[in-house]
Amino acid sequence: MNESISNLWSIPLFIIIPILAAILLNVLYSRKRAISVTAVVSSLALIVVSVLSPFGFHWFTGQPAVLPTGGYTYRADLLGWNLALEYYYGPLQQIAIFLASVLLLFVVLIAINSLKKNTGTYISLLFLTFMSAAIVIMVNDFYHLWIGVEIGSLIVAGVVLATGEAVSQKAALKYTFFSALSGAGLAIALALILGVTGYANISDAIIAMPLNDASLASVLYVAFGFTVLSWIYAGGLAPIHPLKADVYGSAFPHATILLQTQSKLMLVAIGLVILRLFGTLPFAKEVMLSVSVLTMMIGVVMAMLQTDFRWTLAYLIVSHSGLVTLGISLGTVQGIIGGLFQAVNDVVYMSVLLLACEGIYYFGRGTSIKTVSGIAKRAPWLAVAAIIGAFAASGVPPFNGFQSEIILIQASLNYGMPELAIVVLMVSVTTFIALFKGIYNIFLRPDDAPQAGEKQGMPVPRMLYVCLAALIFITILFGVYPQLAINFLNEAALKVVYIPWVP
Amino acid sequence: MIELNLQFLSFMAAAVLVVIGLGGMLFLDNLIKKIIAFTLLSDGVNLALVTLGYVEGGIVSILEPGTSGAAFPTNAVLIFGPGIVLTNIVIGVSTTAVLVAVTMVLYQRYGTLKASKVLKGERK
Repeated sequence: MNESISNLWSIPLFIIIPILAAILLNVLYSRKRAISVTAVVSSLALIVVSVLSPFGFHWFTGQPAVLPTGGYTYRADLLGWNLALEYYYGPLQQIAIFLASVLLLFVVLIAINSLKKNTGTYISLLFLTFMSAAIVIMVNDFYHLWIGVEIGSLIVAGVVLATGEAVSQKAALKYTFFSALSGAGLAIALALILGVTGYANISDAIIAMPLNDASLASVLYVAFGFTVLSWIYAGGLAPIHPLKADVYGSAFPHATILLQTQSKLMLVAIGLVILRLFGTLPFAKEVMLSVSVLTMMIGVVMAMLQTDFRWTLAYLIVSHSGLVTLGISLGTVQGIIGGLFQAVNDVVYMSVLLLACEGIYYFGRGTSIKTVSGIAKRAPWLAVAAIIGAFAASGVPPFNGFQSEIILIQASLNYGMPELAIVVLMVSVTTFIALFKGIYNIFLRPDDAPQAGEKQGMPVPRMLYVCLAALIFITILFGVYPQLAINFLNEAALKVVYIPWVP
Repeated sequence: MIELNLQFLSFMAAAVLVVIGLGGMLFLDNLIKKIIAFTLLSDGVNLALVTLGYVEGGIVSILEPGTSGAAFPTNAVLIFGPGIVLTNIVIGVSTTAVLVAVTMVLYQRYGTLKASKVLKGERK
């Protein structure tokens, strides 16, 4: 690692740009043209920074690490102490933030084109959603992790409230109450880790962790429990999954793209922190695996029962979070790569399905599979996009979902737990059934409108098709060339398993 | 035998606040009471964080001229806890503001503050 690129100035830009954009957009409030320019330029700036930024660290105090042998270093790969509040930007962070910023651009473009008034405040919330996800994925200290999760929760409530529907207000209320609980839990976990190790920096805390001190075992388990609680909450895992499903189902479908991206990045980031800090505790992996299996099963069963395509997707997002956590919970290099790759793919193919869902809303004035039908005649390309998204989500080759699910199945078999591989297969099959139940009814069932012209629908923003095409391209690209994404994920997986104190 | 020092009593007080807050949030039906319970829970966490940094007979964590370099690390209070408390207070205020705002909107819609009725969508 090159010392000259440490304490990178480019890393804070992922936080500064969204905050400045949010402030400016709030000031602009309803000046549509100025809002469009500010939002698009800011999103493009984030994409450019994510591509051009070198890999390295940012220390908030600018203070280097203290070596056990004396002296200082800016090289975090050496065994140093007191790295304090720290961000790390590596290959995993690059692909995650790049994808999130591309999705932010798409969501902003659709929001500008589809919403009529007061878009400034709403779009500022979208930027802050991105910011909270960026904080959590880059962070290597418990303090920022806690702040990122807390800020993220409040912003999610704001994005959901923007629809103005009663169901959204109730979902936001429940979500905020639980965010208060899980935030307090994460703060207690932070306090306990600080008390036991004396460090808030995760690398330092791992080195100082008193794993052999039996008198502190109970404290570590309580800290583990509270961290897992916040993981479950931030990622929408069972048994708190209905809260997240409510949030996904009641927000605008295009906003749900960003909400599920934020959720997946938090899931990955907190999951890796748990594995690094508590991975060696007895029963830690078993607890994580149980949560992931429960989430997968409950999610797909609930998805099968839904009669609204939006809610089917909401529960499938929850269920597929279980696939991500399964890989991370296995704790092997292959498992972690599978989990991370699944997170990347999940974000992409669920975005395809959510955009298709938004398209259905424009054509059918709703997303219920009971009332909307015959859309394929009026929008054949939308039907094709939905079917591709459904194939990818169900793990059908040559789409991206297949590649990550096959890695997860192999990792489960190599771990010595074939039953987990069977659960992954069951999730794939059930996802296929749940999605095609909706797709058949909405697109292929003959239109049962009593009078011609009754279901005229609303004009569809052309931008929606452009975004769909770009996302489908990524779906196929990662399906045919999985190594393109896996190359970014290898480093993170190897570090977690072999040198967990290095971020 | 547990020594009843100031730090232990403070931790106990924090635990009591957390339990009361948690109980209130989970079992009270009135939305405003739930929000008050949340503030108690938040106060409990803050008290735990402040207590964590307490050192019996400790000194302020600022290295002033004349302070013994050797004694400083063991005698100085841990300042990170109170630092987190400051952040937690800000987050607590923001969360309370969001909760109160949503509660007001739901009250205007349903005419009741009972969580059981509001979440079912029933009017008063």
